[in-house]
Amino acid sequence: MPRKYDQLFETVRQNVDEVDVQALKSAIDNGDSKPFVIDVRERDEWEQGHVPGARFIPRGFLEMRIEEQVPEKDQPVYLYCAGGVRSIFAAQALQQLGYENAISISGGFGAWKDAGYPFDIPRQWTPDQRQRYSRHFLIPEVGEHGQGKLLDAKVLMIGAGGLGSPAALYLAAAGVGKLGIVDSDEVDLSNLQRQIVHSTSRVGEPKTESARTFVNDLNPDVEVVGIHERLNASNVLDLVADYDVVVNGADNFATRYLLNDACVILGKPIVDGSIFRFEGQVTVYKPHEGPCYRCMFPEPPPADLAPT
Amino acid sequence: MLPGVIGVLQATEVIKLILGQGDPLVGRLLTFDALESTFRTLKVGRDPECPACGAEAKLDASQVRDMDYQVSCELPIAGD
Ligand SMILES: [Zn+2]
Repeated sequence: MPRKYDQLFETVRQNVDEVDVQALKSAIDNGDSKPFVIDVRERDEWEQGHVPGARFIPRGFLEMRIEEQVPEKDQPVYLYCAGGVRSIFAAQALQQLGYENAISISGGFGAWKDAGYPFDIPRQWTPDQRQRYSRHFLIPEVGEHGQGKLLDAKVLMIGAGGLGSPAALYLAAAGVGKLGIVDSDEVDLSNLQRQIVHSTSRVGEPKTESARTFVNDLNPDVEVVGIHERLNASNVLDLVADYDVVVNGADNFATRYLLNDACVILGKPIVDGSIFRFEGQVTVYKPHEGPCYRCMFPEPPPADLAPT
Repeated sequence: MLPGVIGVLQATEVIKLILGQGDPLVGRLLTFDALESTFRTLKVGRDPECPACGAEAKLDASQVRDMDYQVSCELPIAGD
């Protein structure tokens, strides 16, 4: 006597589109836009490796979460599991939610690995990290994948002053893995009115050390590299080369031109901020995609006009 | 308070660049007037003759190392 399950599986399967892993590979490599690939397995399976670029939604959460991840119902959605069975039922569930192109991958991740295709092994999170970044994990624009990018990122901050303080705190809180902080000053009592990374007990300390103390306490995942020097023509290229993004909080023309030239040569974006009286400005100089500082300010002002 | 607003906007742009999400302020200048409580964005364009990033620019590492930016930040005009 055939099991009810076998009948159910065959019925569902007849109404679901299936393609093999070769078709999935070429959709990922050759598609005009990145296809949505959903891994519907359980967490322990996902952690041992998954199709690159796939999103992790365990079968039990699929109906609840899919509409946040894939709002467009006419988009192709490729679903895979370990062997191609759970993904059949997953595809049926998506059809019932109105997805017009829910496709199950026959053979699943097993066939993907057997074909010799590359796979990613996701970052292993400690229980503390799971809690600390739990809000990020829930945002589709960040998620575990994005949090991994943040922890792998290296940001160079020019100045731990009025702008650098809040920027450093939020970047550290968000889990940016490495913060280089360039500042040659010491903390002064008059700084504390706005430079919130420092504190009364650290007056007199180098700002790099004071900032490190605060950041380490806020988030031990963040490595702070204190560079207790002035940025100059002989150190700028070596410093910038080690980082992905530069945040400028230094308010003088010489530093802006110096940083600009180094970042144009090295192809690194600068997130620039400045304040004049009661107005503040922010822009991003991304070499060859938008203007650089010299595009906007081709003529350096005479030295005696430059504010400090 | 104003440095907090601007510094946090900078941090937000950094996160967007790292994640590859949204539209970073590339080619746009965001201004915040604290007294009026207004934000504005201005479009800003590239200068094709820019001595740093223009088509004819010949800026290189040795040029940066040899300049004294405290004395003058001027680069030779492209094409010279
Ligand atoms: Zn330029």
